[in-house]
Amino acid sequence: MDRLLATGIDLTTSTLVLALVSLGLAVVFGLVRVINMGHGAMLALGAYLAWSLTGAGWPFPLAVAGAAVGVAAVGFVFEYLVIRHFYGRLFDTLLISWGFYLVVTELIKVVWGSTLKSVPNPLPGSIAIGGAGIGRYEAVVCVISVLLLTAAGAVLYRTDVGLRVRAMIGNREMAQMLGVDAPRLYRGVFVAGSALAGLAGALIAPLFSIEPDLGTLWLVRAFFVVTVGGLGAIVGGTVVGSALIAGGTVVFSVFSPQVFAQTVVFALAVIALRARPTGLIGRTAVRA
Amino acid sequence: MSTGFSRRALLKAGLAGASALAAPSLLTACAPKSTSTGSSSGPIKVGVLSPLSGAWTVYGKAHSAGFRLAVDEINAAGGTLGRRWEVVLADTKTEPQVVTEQANRLVREERVDFLAGTFSSAERNAAGPVATNADKLLLYPTFYEGQSQQYHPGVCNPNVFMFGPEPTEQVWPHLEYVVKKHGGKFFLIGSDYVWPRETNRLTKQKLTELGGSVVGEVYVPFNTPQYGAVIDQIRRARAQVVFLSLTGSDTVNFRRQLAASGAKKDLVVWTVDDEEAATTGVGPDATAGDYVSFDYFWSIDTPNNRKFRAAVTKKYPDVIMSTVGVAMYNAAHLAALAIEKAGSVGTDEVRRALEGLTFDGAPQGPVTMRALDHQAVLPSYLAQVRPGWTGPDDMFTVVHQVAKVEPATAQCETLPLAKS
Amino acid sequence: MRRPGPETLLAVPVFVALFYVPYLISGYTVFILAQYMLYGVLALTLCLLWGLGGMVSFGQGAFFALGAYALGITVRELDSPWLGLLLAVVLGAGVAGAVGWFLFSANVRDSYFVLVTLALSTIVYVVANAQSGLTGGFNGMFVPRVSFGPLSLSGDLSMYYLAFAVTLASYVGARLVQASAFGRVLVSIRENEDRTQALGYPTALYKTAAFALSGAVAAVAGALYATDAGFVSPSLGGVLFSTTVVVWVAVGGRNSFLAALVGAIGISALSNALNSVVPEYWQLLLGVLFVLVIVFFRRGVVGSLLMVGERRHARR
Repeated sequence: MDRLLATGIDLTTSTLVLALVSLGLAVVFGLVRVINMGHGAMLALGAYLAWSLTGAGWPFPLAVAGAAVGVAAVGFVFEYLVIRHFYGRLFDTLLISWGFYLVVTELIKVVWGSTLKSVPNPLPGSIAIGGAGIGRYEAVVCVISVLLLTAAGAVLYRTDVGLRVRAMIGNREMAQMLGVDAPRLYRGVFVAGSALAGLAGALIAPLFSIEPDLGTLWLVRAFFVVTVGGLGAIVGGTVVGSALIAGGTVVFSVFSPQVFAQTVVFALAVIALRARPTGLIGRTAVRA
Repeated sequence: MSTGFSRRALLKAGLAGASALAAPSLLTACAPKSTSTGSSSGPIKVGVLSPLSGAWTVYGKAHSAGFRLAVDEINAAGGTLGRRWEVVLADTKTEPQVVTEQANRLVREERVDFLAGTFSSAERNAAGPVATNADKLLLYPTFYEGQSQQYHPGVCNPNVFMFGPEPTEQVWPHLEYVVKKHGGKFFLIGSDYVWPRETNRLTKQKLTELGGSVVGEVYVPFNTPQYGAVIDQIRRARAQVVFLSLTGSDTVNFRRQLAASGAKKDLVVWTVDDEEAATTGVGPDATAGDYVSFDYFWSIDTPNNRKFRAAVTKKYPDVIMSTVGVAMYNAAHLAALAIEKAGSVGTDEVRRALEGLTFDGAPQGPVTMRALDHQAVLPSYLAQVRPGWTGPDDMFTVVHQVAKVEPATAQCETLPLAKS
Repeated sequence: MRRPGPETLLAVPVFVALFYVPYLISGYTVFILAQYMLYGVLALTLCLLWGLGGMVSFGQGAFFALGAYALGITVRELDSPWLGLLLAVVLGAGVAGAVGWFLFSANVRDSYFVLVTLALSTIVYVVANAQSGLTGGFNGMFVPRVSFGPLSLSGDLSMYYLAFAVTLASYVGARLVQASAFGRVLVSIRENEDRTQALGYPTALYKTAAFALSGAVAAVAGALYATDAGFVSPSLGGVLFSTTVVVWVAVGGRNSFLAALVGAIGISALSNALNSVVPEYWQLLLGVLFVLVIVFFRRGVVGSLLMVGERRHARR
């Protein structure tokens, strides 16, 4: 029983952390059709900013906010200088953002050096749940992940801005005719995605190694989450995709070696893609 | 042909293109042809292969700085055989295929007299055939899995010398101490490759002799971010010691998550990977009280190390020095002693001179290169991480030490390692 | 006789130059250029998919690694390089064909295909690491320089000319495919897959065939790389190497085989040169170059040059 409970807790935390990390990518990918390969570098940048700001004496929550703002600013500049000229050209944006990844990763090395950094755990200690347990900070990260996912859903489906964004995905020309300022909306979405990446990078900083290549660890997994979950299905897709990738690994590693667990999960993801080429949740979620 | 270009024009264009491609080599084409007897005039050139970018960048700085520091000292003392040393540095990108490319460049184009460096076992193995084909020595600094014929010519290679500890040097001397203090129920977790598997095999063997037992053994693929499932397994196994041979970012991710999960209150952690740089990455809150074992620690208090630390702090204040950098430092000094003794930089002469040679100035205490299998006889230290440390200066307290450990004999087809 | 286009006019001096390199110099350049030509072949295989068929693969490294391991393991176990080469072809074509058919028949396209190829790289990397009994795992596998019949590759020169011959053959082959009916259908799929399908072409079959061909040739390049470099490790199949292949083709130019080939050789040589001048900053410089090329030369450096030539050619 304890074992089941513990596995359940692992499954939940792994899924929610991966969902948090993938959300920014999902927003940009799903709404403005940019495969942001730079997402990994944005995560790293968020973690480094959190490190610098906590080091400068900022309280942790403020440092996280600062990191989100900082990465959003970088995203804004990148969008303004480069990305906005390439909307609608899927592979060009993919390549350009891969270039962004390469450059930012190297710049991080120049600015912060290549030594590993660590951000102290702001909430040490653990909470006992039955015979199992969960770290207090991990629990907080999970709660924030749920809040962010809910907020993203609320903005998309309950606000005016969300309505306009959805109108734009549905039919760009029509939306523009109806007076939607598409370039501004696109920029807004890209910057929001960047901010989410920065926020996620800062939030996971106390749990992970902070190094220039931090993003590579997540990039492929986050891609799977977004595509398997479904293009355009921001909230549901991210949750389902994360559950498959992170949760699947947890479940399989209960009774098989880690290597097998990870390989099987990737293979399953490919099969899921074939079965539902538009993602497990698919685009219907947007139309709904 | 109706296009109007003549055959001669074409040939000319071809030649021009070829010479543009070949420009760097043309410059060196007049240099004396290098053979295994080595150059006999001009500077002594050493090719250093360091991971300056890629997955293991964190170790790269100490790695190259250790060697350069020794070369600076050697040159300040007038060089070797009256010749200055010159270091040619190459980035391996932590990728074996880049090692193949760069090691060949150093040997064939830069015409270095010998090679030093490479970091991971895979990098070393990639450089092994290059060293053999060019008949150059390779001085390898990293703590490693020991030598077995399967990985020849990366190991069991007469041209390769090991300056770091193998598992029986790094682990065995301290097992009894840890078992007595914390109990014998070990949970082994490592990255999924040869070094952790070999380290764990040998640890298990000795642990069983001491009456301890392995309550879990897990190997994790590289670049695994989340460890919830493994931590849960550790909890359930009621392990007393988590014995850790994860590498790179994986070790940091695991240890931070282990600490955050609260599971550490019932057990201790012993890592054989996390030297000063990696421990810095894990941070003070997640490392307090953990054990680490190596042949060298920045905090060792000996006259040699005081001198060494002063020199590092002065020349490379940003570098976090560690066992790997120190091994590179020792490798350069031992090579200098060997060249002096041999009176030549020829591969055969230096190899013979290196065998059995001792460097008394090593920061961790005297280091001897064993003639039989080219493994280093080293001191071994077990250190505990001090709570609330602020940097490498106050990071470790040595709790157990052995001044001189003989490595286990290499599992090679022919010993002593001689030129075939 | 049809007037050769600018691509052919440029290809002739490039190959002539490559042919004469060993006459002029020896040593490192000959050694490393052989390797870069094999990288060039790998770039050609991506160009076939991307330039012709509009399918971007982030998994060409996976086939390269499959070929390298196929040769290495066969030579170790059976001492037969011919069988190794055959196994490389079969594995490369087989895996690409199976994965391709599995996906294309269900109409998986675009970014989803990118993702699957990324997965392929990741899986090959993880499996090669895990199956250490077979592959040597992370620590890698040594491969000797083999002989194909009377052709011994122990010398750099013979290795060079074998790589040269394979590169030339791959290039000419790719151009022939481009000019064939098969190639024209691929282009038509790139331009509009639905329309091509509506015209009665089994597009899934065509795409699968292209992917299998590309996988087989990439595996052959990998097999030759293994014996050339003497060492194979899982990172050959990893995501980073696969993305490097994409960088070569994008910077060289995705619309021309010559551009892709020159891109691979040129960038590899440039990386190497920068590595020896500024080992700490070379990747930053390369990244900046990459971004500039993508932003300002959509068709790649060589591709843009060729386009200028093509315009003149057309005007004549």
